[in-house]
Amino acid sequence: MEGRIIVVTSGKGGVGKTTATASIGAALALEGKRVAVIDMDIGLRNLDVVLGLENRIVFNIVDVVNGRCNLRQAAIRDRRIENLFLVPASQSDNKDVLTTAGVDRVAKQLRKEFDYVIMDSPAGIERGFENSVTAADEAIVVCTPDVSSIRDADRVIGLLYSRSITPKLVVNRIVPEMVERGDMLSHEDVLEVLSIDLAGLVPMDEQVVIATNTGMPLVLQNDSKAGQAFRRIARRLNGEPDLPVVVPSVKGGMWNRFTQKLGLKQ
Amino acid sequence: MILEDAPPVKLKGVGDGFWVTLDPSRSEELLKNEITKLFERLKHLAINARVVIDVGDAPGGDDLVNALGGFLKKQFDVGVVTRPPEKRVIPVERIRQRDLSRGWTQHRSDVLMLRGRVRSGQNIEAKKHLIITGDVNPGAQIIAGGDVLVMGRLLGQVHAGRPGNDESIVLALDFRPTQVKIGEHVAAGLGDTTNGQVEFASVVNGAILVQDYLKSNPFGRIPWPEVI
Ligand SMILES: Nc1ncnc2c1ncn2[C@@H]1O[C@H](COP(=O)(O)OP(=O)(O)O)[C@@H](O)[C@H]1O
Ligand SMILES: [Mg+2]
Repeated sequence: MEGRIIVVTSGKGGVGKTTATASIGAALALEGKRVAVIDMDIGLRNLDVVLGLENRIVFNIVDVVNGRCNLRQAAIRDRRIENLFLVPASQSDNKDVLTTAGVDRVAKQLRKEFDYVIMDSPAGIERGFENSVTAADEAIVVCTPDVSSIRDADRVIGLLYSRSITPKLVVNRIVPEMVERGDMLSHEDVLEVLSIDLAGLVPMDEQVVIATNTGMPLVLQNDSKAGQAFRRIARRLNGEPDLPVVVPSVKGGMWNRFTQKLGLKQ
Repeated sequence: MILEDAPPVKLKGVGDGFWVTLDPSRSEELLKNEITKLFERLKHLAINARVVIDVGDAPGGDDLVNALGGFLKKQFDVGVVTRPPEKRVIPVERIRQRDLSRGWTQHRSDVLMLRGRVRSGQNIEAKKHLIITGDVNPGAQIIAGGDVLVMGRLLGQVHAGRPGNDESIVLALDFRPTQVKIGEHVAAGLGDTTNGQVEFASVVNGAILVQDYLKSNPFGRIPWPEVI
């Protein structure tokens, strides 16, 4: 069976695309799937840093697309998580060195080698976006609960629909205390505007910053709420679409999940 | 030498129809030719339009108007053709009866009706009236030559009656646009005033006013269904 290519995109920068790509990719590998995460943010590579694989880079995606090496040479195998591979971006080129035709060609090969290919896209809706979505079968749109991020996500959702890709939504950096006080939009407010399927809700979590700085995959930190959220998102993608969505709450996960599900929440 | 006088046929738009002024001393053939030139330019706008043919007081005017009216209906699918009301008043009742008996199934319309969500960055432009059954998100822009009706939330930018039609209205079940223009008038920050009512914006005394639709229904005064 051919693998699925999932692009992670958002329009706006800094909302958590790279964090989501690394975490969902790692979580799918932990589920036993063969996974490649591809950094399509050419010129501003950082998926390698988030995964702690920076010092093992030899070749990159531009080399693969332009035929300077083959896929196996460029894919870095993670030593902590079995079946997780990274194809890094190049740091020096700009986004125009890739063409959609070139990416499509490599995508065919990626589909054969992996169960899941997760593409981390750059901010914006120009060339880099085109290259990231050209081969995608599915899309995850990441947004944060603020008006400008929602506006950009909405734009990207429109562009994805126009390519016949039906995206799923991840709302990241939710601060339950602020939502409760009415100082932050709730996920319902976000969904009211974006109205697409929800892949999951991820709370603001300082473990994300720690994981990013140490290069330790977030989903391996068992006490990280964001890490758990990404693991559930991966399970939803991987054959468990009905896994209930946990709404980040002040008191913490479990009770909230069950009471919500049983309709006991007042 | 040929006299440089008024053209044999003049055409202007009035309300929902057209007013054709012509010189009854010219031949019917020439008048038909001139009319054809003008109506060809109107394209589909002529369809079902009311047409008034003004031939002045010349004898035999009725026959000429009947002949040209038949010609216009056949060639351009126009609606009711009459002489100017002052000259010969056709009872309104009769026009209405005729409108009704034509049957609405034949009516072709310029109304653009869309279903679904309009997202940020999307632009929708309609020649005449625009109906959206769905929501219009912030960052979306919708423009219409006539009225805009949104059967859902209106959160984006909207321009009705472009260009210059101040009679147009903008209606939404949940009326919270970021900006409204009607004709040449602009208003911003009309949002957040809704208390669950359906509202509409229209130009009143030279400014855009938002009102409760059911309390001051702008169409409630029209006593009979008319084609728009
Ligand atoms: N759930 C979260 N909690 C705390 N910080 C986060 C969270 N998600 C992302 N961040 C931080 O936000 C910043 C931007 O995230 P990143 O994934 O690089 O965004 P993008 O790839 O969309 O530009 C990073 O410093 C990251 O550590
Ligand atoms: Mg990034």
